[in-house]
Amino acid sequence: MSGSWQRTRAAAWRVLAHPGALISVAYLAVTICVSLTAQWLLPIDPLYQDLASTLEPPGATYWFGTDELGRDILARVIYGARTSLLTAGGAVVIAAAIGVPIGLIAGYFGGWRDTILMRIVDVLLALPGILFAMALIAVLGRSQAAALVAVGITGIPSFARITRAQVLSLRQRDFVLAVEALGGTAAYNMFRTVLPNAWSPILVQVVILSSVAILLEAALAFLGVGIPPPTPSWGEMLRTGKSYLYEAPTYAILPGLALTLTILSLDTLGRTLATVLEDRREVVEDEAQ
Amino acid sequence: MTQVINRRTLLAGVAGVGLAGAVAADAGAQAAVKGGKPLRVALLNDIVNFDPHQFSSQNASIMRNLYDTLIEYDDAGKPIPALASSFAIAPDNLSCTVVLRAGVTFHSGAPLTSADLDATLKKANDPKTGKNVYPTMGVVKDWTVVDPKTVRLNFKAKVPDRQVTDLLQFMFVIAADTTDSAETKVNGTGPFTVAERVLGQRMRLVANPKYWRAKQPVLSEVIYTIFSDDDSAAAALESKAVDMIFGGGARAAVRLRNAGYHLWQGQGQLVQVFRINTNMGPFRNEKFRQAFNYLLDRAAILRVGYAGLGEVTALPWAPASPAADRSYDKTYAFDLKKGEALLKASGLSPAEMNDWKLLASGSSQDAVAISQIVQGTLKKVGIDIQLEIKQGSEYVDALLGGKFSATFGGVGNVQKFPTRITTNSIYRTVNNPVLGNPNPHKAYVAAIARVESAFGTADVKAAYAALNKALVESAFGIATNTYDVFLTVAAKNVGGFTKDLDSLLVLRTLGFTS
Repeated sequence: MSGSWQRTRAAAWRVLAHPGALISVAYLAVTICVSLTAQWLLPIDPLYQDLASTLEPPGATYWFGTDELGRDILARVIYGARTSLLTAGGAVVIAAAIGVPIGLIAGYFGGWRDTILMRIVDVLLALPGILFAMALIAVLGRSQAAALVAVGITGIPSFARITRAQVLSLRQRDFVLAVEALGGTAAYNMFRTVLPNAWSPILVQVVILSSVAILLEAALAFLGVGIPPPTPSWGEMLRTGKSYLYEAPTYAILPGLALTLTILSLDTLGRTLATVLEDRREVVEDEAQ
Repeated sequence: MTQVINRRTLLAGVAGVGLAGAVAADAGAQAAVKGGKPLRVALLNDIVNFDPHQFSSQNASIMRNLYDTLIEYDDAGKPIPALASSFAIAPDNLSCTVVLRAGVTFHSGAPLTSADLDATLKKANDPKTGKNVYPTMGVVKDWTVVDPKTVRLNFKAKVPDRQVTDLLQFMFVIAADTTDSAETKVNGTGPFTVAERVLGQRMRLVANPKYWRAKQPVLSEVIYTIFSDDDSAAAALESKAVDMIFGGGARAAVRLRNAGYHLWQGQGQLVQVFRINTNMGPFRNEKFRQAFNYLLDRAAILRVGYAGLGEVTALPWAPASPAADRSYDKTYAFDLKKGEALLKASGLSPAEMNDWKLLASGSSQDAVAISQIVQGTLKKVGIDIQLEIKQGSEYVDALLGGKFSATFGGVGNVQKFPTRITTNSIYRTVNNPVLGNPNPHKAYVAAIARVESAFGTADVKAAYAALNKALVESAFGIATNTYDVFLTVAAKNVGGFTKDLDSLLVLRTLGFTS
């Protein structure tokens, strides 16, 4: 246990040793903190309409100007981060909660269970994510919950396939067979023996899917089927802001920048994690030999 | 000289105006402009088809250019002759005799005769083929071809003069041999003919060399190009790739106007109306509905939704409507206190007042914006509602099927005879798809009937006043502002614009000033 903790801490330091990853983690930490404490840091209601001050340029009162309804653009970008992060977090939880057990069962038992589960996953994978999400929202109606579920379901196949691949490689390892020979149940073996050794790529997938989920939520909002207004959303701001590029360029540029930086940070972190965890696995395997 | 022959005071004045006036006005428009090169027009939508009786916004660019109507209205709303050299409304208002202009030919070369008007009327009077002209024909019992140039329309009951002239103004005459194929074949008397059309991309019109109006059209060629969005059309105008945009959005139009381009608005504005389903939730309560006469920030809605192009109005009439009454705009101006007082007087609990959603069309960014204004305003008086955003056909289904509590929707035909408003779903007096049958707003139904049967200046004025009072008191449709769907933005060297009551594009007087 102690050795595992030390290895994890060492891996974390190796991730942060990469300048790109360090900047990404710092940006994400600031974004998360600001979005969670927005009501105290920036006590401006993102829904408040100052109809006498529509499309105001950046200034002392409104640092990044106002939108077509006189709402503070900065406040809406910050609260929009909360929307994006909540959707991404919820979607990842849904995708992992369903996808990981599917991959675990398919990989561990193999046979007909594997065939059936993977064909279901293949069907999900064959559907273009955005089209599937739009269809689901058309049925469920436009809401944050619907967007979250839609984005989450599109992430299930990737978790299922990655978990299955990991389990297949671990299934015939001596320590797994030993637990089985000593009378460990299949459930015990899957969740206490195999899964803890398969978490590295799943963690990477969590980070990558977060960026995909944020992008997908923004795309849905941009297409007009995301979270309904007046809830602040980066995608919705981009959708509306592009019509006011002449009058209020910050309206579209600021959420676009926030979206770009967030996705870039998550992707950079995900790639660094994948590299570091791959190195760590090779080290652990070398030590085992 | 041909004159309008008329026995009634209203139209007697028209005789003085007559053809001479029309020609003089047109000549004035032409004096400063010349042709010589093609006019390149950007459209935001391709036309639906060539049938002039299908008055869709997409067809507004061609109707008055390929076809002519029996009469037109001048800038002041007075009828002026067109294909009808004269018309006379009988003293009992039960018939109208139309005399067709001599010397007019169709694009095919055939002369215009009563047989063509007869075939046109048959098409217009059939619900399957009459399309948008069919409801206007509702007052016509039958018609008689008197001679090769004269047709008499017989009415079911006494019809007010303005309703008769609206019918004549809306009657685009099609050659008898093409009424069945009007959607695909063009054979009108209009100043232009179609030389080329590439579906969804472009269309080229060339001048009709035998056009009956002297020295018109000014241009010999017009090229329409279809653009996918407002911004690209605006960029094309700014880069001189086109000379004009027809049917663009208000925001781009204002920006281009501020940059020195001509912005031309017609008289056929629509009115944005907050439509209320009085069978739903708190809207069953009349006082609650009446509160919305004061709770809609019309100026903000006009500014945000339409870039300020239009006018605030508390009544569903365009400025050109004979029933327009600007005093209502002051009486029912945005006033939260008056609105709150009516909300209180409704006796509804806060929970009951919050028990509805505001339907908005997701495909219209402006509709979503103005719905959010209402949402924000209502929050100030303690009403916290959600938006229900639906897309495309789902929205149209809800709008026309009455599956909503409240929603914004434009109403048309509000620049013509006031009872034409009943062609809009929420204002129908019978078979109303939203309010049901029989219409629950008896005062409104009675007011419409009174307008239809009012004759004489005093009676007509009183009937319009009664209708306006019924509209704000029944409060099932709260007007907010007028707006244009056919805005025209043109380069500085384009001139000779002619106003049209329906805001249709009129090319015949257009030309270049340099």
